[in-house]
Amino acid sequence: MPKILIVDDSNMLRDMVKYALNEGGYPDVVEAVDGVDGLEKAKSAVFDLIVTDINMPNMNGFDLIVELRKLPTYAKTPILTLTTEKNDDMKAKGKAVGATGWIVKPFVPEQLLKAVGIVLSR
Amino acid sequence: MAVFDINKYRQMFLEEAEDIFETIDTILLEAEESGDMDNETVNSLFRSVHTLKGNSASVELAMFAALAHELEFFMDRLRNGELAFEESMAELLIEGVDTLKQILEMELSGELEESFFHTTKMSLLQKIESFSEDAQEMVELVILEEEKDDFGLLLPTDDDKGFGPISGEYSEKPEEMPESMEEYFGLFDDEAPQSELPPFEDVFGLFDDLEEITMKEAKEEMFGFFDELEDHSISVATVSSSAEESDEDHFGFFMEIAPQLKPKASLPEKRSEPNPKEAHPEAAVDESKVAKKFKADTTSNSIRVDLSKIDGLMNNIGELVIAHSMLSQYIYTMEDQKTKSDLSERLELIDRHIRELQESVMSVRMVPMETVFSKFPKVIRDTAKKLDKKIDFRSFGESVEIDKAMIEGLTDPLMHIVRNGLDHGIESPERRRKAGKPETGTLMMSAEQANGQMIIKIQDDGGGINLAKVTAKALENGVIDEHQAYSMSDEEKAMLIFAPGLSTADAVTDISGRGVGMDVVMSNIKKLGGIVKVDTEEGYGSTFTIALPLTLAILDGLNIRVGTEQFILPLSAIIESIKPEEEMIKQIGDTQSEVLMLRNEFIPVVRLHTIFNVEYEHQKLSDGLLIVVRSAAQKIALFVDEFMNQQQFVIKPLDRNFRNARGIGGATVRGDGTIGLIIDTMNILDKNY
Repeated sequence: MPKILIVDDSNMLRDMVKYALNEGGYPDVVEAVDGVDGLEKAKSAVFDLIVTDINMPNMNGFDLIVELRKLPTYAKTPILTLTTEKNDDMKAKGKAVGATGWIVKPFVPEQLLKAVGIVLSR
Repeated sequence: MAVFDINKYRQMFLEEAEDIFETIDTILLEAEESGDMDNETVNSLFRSVHTLKGNSASVELAMFAALAHELEFFMDRLRNGELAFEESMAELLIEGVDTLKQILEMELSGELEESFFHTTKMSLLQKIESFSEDAQEMVELVILEEEKDDFGLLLPTDDDKGFGPISGEYSEKPEEMPESMEEYFGLFDDEAPQSELPPFEDVFGLFDDLEEITMKEAKEEMFGFFDELEDHSISVATVSSSAEESDEDHFGFFMEIAPQLKPKASLPEKRSEPNPKEAHPEAAVDESKVAKKFKADTTSNSIRVDLSKIDGLMNNIGELVIAHSMLSQYIYTMEDQKTKSDLSERLELIDRHIRELQESVMSVRMVPMETVFSKFPKVIRDTAKKLDKKIDFRSFGESVEIDKAMIEGLTDPLMHIVRNGLDHGIESPERRRKAGKPETGTLMMSAEQANGQMIIKIQDDGGGINLAKVTAKALENGVIDEHQAYSMSDEEKAMLIFAPGLSTADAVTDISGRGVGMDVVMSNIKKLGGIVKVDTEEGYGSTFTIALPLTLAILDGLNIRVGTEQFILPLSAIIESIKPEEEMIKQIGDTQSEVLMLRNEFIPVVRLHTIFNVEYEHQKLSDGLLIVVRSAAQKIALFVDEFMNQQQFVIKPLDRNFRNARGIGGATVRGDGTIGLIIDTMNILDKNY
């Protein structure tokens, strides 16, 4: 059963992602409130997928991915970014930091699950 | 299939939005005051609005999201240096945020008409535009044709005009329009072919497997792989042109899943995903500083818990306290001395743990007063502006903690006192100048804990309360009679402002002065188990002092006996108790009214047995005891037969039917399982007027 880490500073969005994942058959979900918290939690356990927001206080999603990719455990782990915009800048930046994919907010559970299914099976 | 419970998430959104709005208000007020906004502040502001936009779109608040989007765009230009901050921008932004709040409220209640939204938004955009011209931006208000619309697609109607972005650049490149219907998903993988965009089949082949739908050249995916993208700065024009090659409609895929999720949230390319580090590397480092400086958006290791859960926990502890005292009462009746003392010893241990548990839960309920204070700067600024007055607002004791359950009940009365102080208390700059005072009036709010009570003071250096005017008004309204007017102390006269229907304002303003309010302040504070006092000096200002219990859940009380009945008197109400000498008791006139003369002060005596209509032991006051208790403006001496013990009680509300019972404010369950009634001293006094 894949273990998934959700990183988002919004309670609401964390809850939405968690709900969608739980409903989609991923009960093992851990939440973190920002990049710093996310990095800490990522180090304390091994996750099979990380879903992170980009726009966060303390440490943003891109910086988190940079830090995660430095860790051998997370060199290849799929990382999905939650984004409001999907412009060149986001794509260039996401690619540069080594993120796996993006999913646009707002999303419906099915879309998220599909994206998760895809990145997990890669 | 799983669907989001939109109501639940709207509620969550609202809670978060409230916090975010507070952060934004704080930032903007500070910027308005200092006339400056540094990079980190701009970033923080941008991030806040960005979150509002993104999250509101997730809970289907389309119009709010569209408006937030416009503000975000403006802030983005501030952030990336396209616009330089000017002092007057703060005011515009404050207005913009106020509009946002208004739209949110209306959209939530379903009262938001599209035409109203359109007008509101346009008027805001026009103001924003004026700054753009200064910055030689090519911004022209573009009322976009429907297909050009890049954000307002969430709207249920076809009339999306007015939702267009104000970006001139955007309108100049209509050929880029398909971009707005771009992918919702992509891969960032480095191993992907770098030179060109990988065939779309590869990406959508994956979806194909799941849904057996050919997703070739899809123009809008909700999800994508980054490695399907070109190495750097993907040209979305390429994406669109390739998409144009085959115009098959492949969106159906996601449309089927979520027809409401048309490309509603796509934005002009220009507006980049917030990444402060890239825009201002030096600012990003200090991001955490901003968060601390204003209000930490979220704190690691903290969770949000519904207050009702904590109330439930508190209630459980209350039951535990009751069960504990039942047990201790039972042990007391035991015959075997050894077992009795052994059990008592162990029971003491449990007692200590219960107390600790109680304290822990109490501390969970406590939040800093900052939560209350932070609402004021914005209100004061707005009110002062409206009244053309200059106000310097200061607050002290932000870190003093208060029961979260009290905040709601406390904010309204405080707000009222403040508004009243601004409206009637602090004078206009000219009047202040004439009176030899500084033009800027000062309003201070402070909180401190003293003697197990929370003391909140609101002090202004205005003109004070015109006691003669208040007294005359009270006479006119029949609140007092001439005799009372003559014999009242200044303090009592000042307290008249809390009488219902009393307004001395010469002109009724829309800030305050309708004559409703100060009496509501009094009743709200009383509901919280507190008292209000006002000290005023004409020409020098007024001070409102509010004393509140620290919590609403537990009460320190004194058990008193009247005849065979026992009642609980809250310790916070007690001033002193005495065994009166005969000569201290005076009769007033030919009535049965008795007063206690204590250190040259006449205090009316209330016989509890008369009020509660119970048997009594002592008839003569000098045989029993008198407890002097306080109310808002008055002292009163309660006649009781005996003091019992002092104890903590878990307050249980009375059933609705009994709420009007004179002199009774609540109930508790005693150790022996019987019900104990808690005396409400305010209530006794009120009926005595």
